[in-house]
Amino acid sequence: MSKPDITLAVADPTIESAPASESPPRAPRPVNGTLIAGLGLVALFAGWALAVRFLDVPSYILPSPAAVWKALWSGLAVSPSDPLGYYLPLWGTLKNAAIGLAAGGGLGLLLGSLMAESRTIEKLLMPYAFALQSLPKVAIAPLVVIWFGFGDGSKIAIAGLLSFFPILINSFTGLRSVDPEKIDLMRSLSASRFETYRIVKLPNAAPYIFAGLDMAVVYALLGTIVAEFLGAQQGMGVVITQAQAVTDVAGVFAALVILGAFGILLHGIVRGLEQRVVHWGNRGRK
Amino acid sequence: MRATQMAPVTGLRPVAPTLIQIRNLKKTYAAGRVQALSNINLDIADGEFVCVVGPSGCGKSTLLRILAGLDDYDSGQVMLGTKTVSGPSRDVGVVFQQANLLPWLTVRENVALPLRVGGGRPDGADDVDRLLEVAGLKDFGGRYPYELSGGMQQRAGICRALVRNPRILLMDEPFGALDALTRERMNLELQRIWQSTGKTVMLITHSISEAIFLADRVIVMSARPGRVLRELTVDIPRPRSNDTIISHPDYPALAKEIRALLTGQGEE
Ligand SMILES: Nc1ncnc2c1ncn2[C@@H]1O[C@H](COP(=O)(O)OP(=O)(O)OP(=O)(O)O)[C@@H](O)[C@H]1O
Ligand SMILES: [Mg+2]
Repeated sequence: MSKPDITLAVADPTIESAPASESPPRAPRPVNGTLIAGLGLVALFAGWALAVRFLDVPSYILPSPAAVWKALWSGLAVSPSDPLGYYLPLWGTLKNAAIGLAAGGGLGLLLGSLMAESRTIEKLLMPYAFALQSLPKVAIAPLVVIWFGFGDGSKIAIAGLLSFFPILINSFTGLRSVDPEKIDLMRSLSASRFETYRIVKLPNAAPYIFAGLDMAVVYALLGTIVAEFLGAQQGMGVVITQAQAVTDVAGVFAALVILGAFGILLHGIVRGLEQRVVHWGNRGRK
Repeated sequence: MRATQMAPVTGLRPVAPTLIQIRNLKKTYAAGRVQALSNINLDIADGEFVCVVGPSGCGKSTLLRILAGLDDYDSGQVMLGTKTVSGPSRDVGVVFQQANLLPWLTVRENVALPLRVGGGRPDGADDVDRLLEVAGLKDFGGRYPYELSGGMQQRAGICRALVRNPRILLMDEPFGALDALTRERMNLELQRIWQSTGKTVMLITHSISEAIFLADRVIVMSARPGRVLRELTVDIPRPRSNDTIISHPDYPALAKEIRALLTGQGEE
């Protein structure tokens, strides 16, 4: 969340030689995180380009950065309706992932709430939740395709399945983690169960739910792509398999870059949303 | 009745009807293995301010929770007015040890919370802004709890307990987490609020000076299993101030007696 608290104190001789008690404590030297990340990225690309050039790596193993850039550009510099560009497949993938996320996340929140509210429902559902949780869910994907076909249905179903669990577990945990004094407060006010849920438990669980959502967003994208690998008319998964079929490794890389960029973007959106909703932040939890 | 409350009480106190009546109250925890309250008998008059002191773990909070309808009890009788306590009541406001405000609501929303849950705004509800003003929080209604000091948070907690205009205020070590000076100020304010509203208050405290400062009557409880060891009437005129109270001739004897009762059983 916050920038890593890196200080260069050890490398700074003025601090080491300063008398221990008399000088006022120095503020740790600020580290420019963006700068360091940028330098790291430049080094990575340089190393990549040099390795490809001087180690004679064949382009079907590792394409040069320039080749990836070219593939990326050819997919981006087209009209949005061009079937060869990235826009249509990207839209298809994101749309299915979003629908799956909404359905799976909504169901996760609902069942997590029911389990948190009722010990009976918890005892009834928890074993299945854990059983399914420990199952590598991607392995169910072929089955889901049989049930839902090669259309959008199977993509949505797998995205929903994968995003369901982090929301279920996190909302359950968050709703159960309420300080008992707050429950006592609501009881002393004769508040109804739903009032206690809405006014106390749900806001209390919000940071947990957002942590779950952060994971679920990535899982939904992952689930959609996996389903597309198994067969689809359109989507980033199709872009990848088609490029792979003709050993267009640069094309595969370019698609991965797009997906990575969207992963980061979605993560940022969830974070921004969380900061708006959970505005009381850590300071509220004394 | 309210008029008699507002007049400074000197000498003989007016005889007010009993509002809280506890008879042979017993309470055990852990399926009967831990006896928390052994045999409590206690009457609290309408408009009275009672402070409860006792060794840690003697069952003070348990007693308060039973009165608040938050815990059940094994046997005995607990009456508020003519009604047997069987659950939370609108006639009771509870002030918790930590102010227990909801961090996601503003101060005003926190204070107004009792008006929007449990069946909505009751008749005779107090005005939120007026309460905030009385508590010196007028300019903080739109702030969030984390922006307030501990003392301000606790004042907001008291406002919330008062907003439904309950007859009874139950307070469990409300100022225990505050520094000594803030605590004295809060005691003064609480006395003022009590005098202007005529509520019946039961306040639990570990501080002997706080108990004497606030109470009409101090209830000293025995070590667990708790029972009432002694009731001491504090006949010091009101309004009391932190300076004058210690120089009152009754003060040293009262403090000494409470201390003796508590240390006699290994308190802290
Ligand atoms: N939920 C519970 N389950 C089991 N035992 C409990 C429970 N609550 C309280 N007790 C026990 O009952 C006894 C009385 O507890 P209580 O909290 O009423 O004491 P107290 O007088 O308020 O103490 P303190 O001054 O430390 O707040 C204690 O010995 C405690 O261990
Ligand atoms: Mg207690």
